[in-house]
Amino acid sequence: MIVIKAQGLTKVYNPDTVPVHALRSVDLEVHQGEFTAIVGPSGSGKTTLLNILGGLDRPTAGKVWINGTDISTLSENKLIDFRRDHIGFVFQSYNLIPVLTARENAEFVMLLQKWPRAERLARTEQLLREVGLADKMDYRPSQLSGGQQQRVAVVRALAPKPRFILADEPTANLDSVSTRNLLDIMARLNEEERVTFLFSTHDQRVIERARRVVTLEDGKIVADETFDR
Amino acid sequence: MIFRIAWRNIWRSPLRSWVVIVAIAMGVWAVIFLMGFSIGMGNSYVVSAIRLEVSHIQLHHPEYLKDFDVRYYIERADTLAREVAQEAGVRHVSPRTLVHGMVATARGSRALRVRGIDPQAEAAISQLDAKLVEGAYLPQGKRHAIYMGKKLAERLGVRLRSRVVLTFQDIDGHITSAAFRVAGLFDTNNNAFEESTALVRREVLNEILGYTGIAHEVAVLLDDAALADTVAARLQARFPQLDVQTYVQRSPEIRLFESQISTSVYIIMVIVMLGLIFGIINTMLMAVLERVRELGMLMAIGMNRFRIFAMIVLETVMLGVVGTPMGIALGAVMIQWFQIHGLDLSHYAQEGLAEFGISAIIYPDVYPGMYVELAIAVFITAMLGSIYPALKAIHLRPVEALRKI
Repeated sequence: MIVIKAQGLTKVYNPDTVPVHALRSVDLEVHQGEFTAIVGPSGSGKTTLLNILGGLDRPTAGKVWINGTDISTLSENKLIDFRRDHIGFVFQSYNLIPVLTARENAEFVMLLQKWPRAERLARTEQLLREVGLADKMDYRPSQLSGGQQQRVAVVRALAPKPRFILADEPTANLDSVSTRNLLDIMARLNEEERVTFLFSTHDQRVIERARRVVTLEDGKIVADETFDR
Repeated sequence: MIFRIAWRNIWRSPLRSWVVIVAIAMGVWAVIFLMGFSIGMGNSYVVSAIRLEVSHIQLHHPEYLKDFDVRYYIERADTLAREVAQEAGVRHVSPRTLVHGMVATARGSRALRVRGIDPQAEAAISQLDAKLVEGAYLPQGKRHAIYMGKKLAERLGVRLRSRVVLTFQDIDGHITSAAFRVAGLFDTNNNAFEESTALVRREVLNEILGYTGIAHEVAVLLDDAALADTVAARLQARFPQLDVQTYVQRSPEIRLFESQISTSVYIIMVIVMLGLIFGIINTMLMAVLERVRELGMLMAIGMNRFRIFAMIVLETVMLGVVGTPMGIALGAVMIQWFQIHGLDLSHYAQEGLAEFGISAIIYPDVYPGMYVELAIAVFITAMLGSIYPALKAIHLRPVEALRKI
């Protein structure tokens, strides 16, 4: 089943002054349960592609369908609701809410979706336990290490059961042990929850764990490889 | 959750939040103090005018107020006073015989308004017996005693027991004179009254005028000034041959003074709130601009603009919710203290205030509803102050906000 479909995605920054072509007619399909890495050198358009696929940015040309919905036709407000209900985000610098505890951060999107309290708490605690943060649930982000914060971010993205999770350089600020732990967790959740992961990275350790690697160069897909891992 | 985030957000920068909270508290305190002071000053003026001059209601011959001609008197004024005293809501009644004339001494003469009174009845209304500073208040047995203001005595160059001659027109139109001896001096903190009015016994003045039992004015003090219109209407219906007027009709400047005070109180409130609003905008704008990335993240993961807007407004309102009770408590305690001890301005403005009939000791007063009005004003101010920062927040584009360092 196709979760994401992009057709003819083009993104030009500063079209009227100094045009910068970040994406040049990119076509991409991502299926349910994939564990896909988008790789490429800096400036190749990885983050731009992820932002457009996640509805955070709009393409200059082309269209994106998420679960069959053309998100380029949605208003800004509808797009926010769409992101809330269908997409999980993991950012390079964690971006947790500093005034909330790990548990409160993890359940935040579920709260926005109005999950019943009992279900919300049960799922949050279960996931936090699964990622090894059972004893850190009531800690605030400032009391957690970078790896622990990123695990909370993964739980926050995953908890409301989105169609897919977009992760922009999720391991860029992590040491090797934290990176390995995080990848183990993401791979396991991908298996167990059948959630689709799409992440941008140039971290070789991440690329080695991906079952599909899409390579971007100068805004174009130059390679799309699948691995049996 | 929005409440929780908003509450915790305001304590992310405790110093900055406390600066705004203290500013709100001080603003509220300042408004309460200024309101209390203005109302206290207004009360002093109104009470002085009512007590010394116009009382709550006055009854006259219908022609008397046109040019204060002594021929237009009320007959059997004592009976009338007794009947008026029976009316519900009436506390005290004082019949007055009034003449305008000259007072002469060895040093010179001055125009004077002479009020012939029954000492006990008049004291209950004007409380002039309590203003005595020298001598006695129209003592028993001294028929030709005169009770005058200290300032008038100074101007006339007279002292206690000095002899003065009053000259005025009697009811038949003849010029008549009578000698009186200064029995007592009063100090009212109302220069205009003190320099223009002297009191003698009514029965003596009536004898000089050649008529007994008459009065030109019956002054009525009520239990509550708010009853003035109702009681005046009842009295007018009961005594249609007389002219019955309330203190507002007799002295429209009292109403003007009251309305000016109330207007100035609201102007003060608006000015203080305007000052506050800019402080709030500044603080909340800083709070938004230093959280651009976080706000972008919240929008990215699905917090809609309404919730972001509400969160910023809530944070601002919470600052007011903390600051306002502090300011109200501080202001209320201060008002209570000054209501007991008074705010003594005698070293700074005694003469100036006395010219307007205002006491140099002000007893600030606020009506309870004012605290509610003030709380609502701060709430509205906080809401207004939060609009610009909140709009700034919701107009962020997540993809750009997330790139901010």
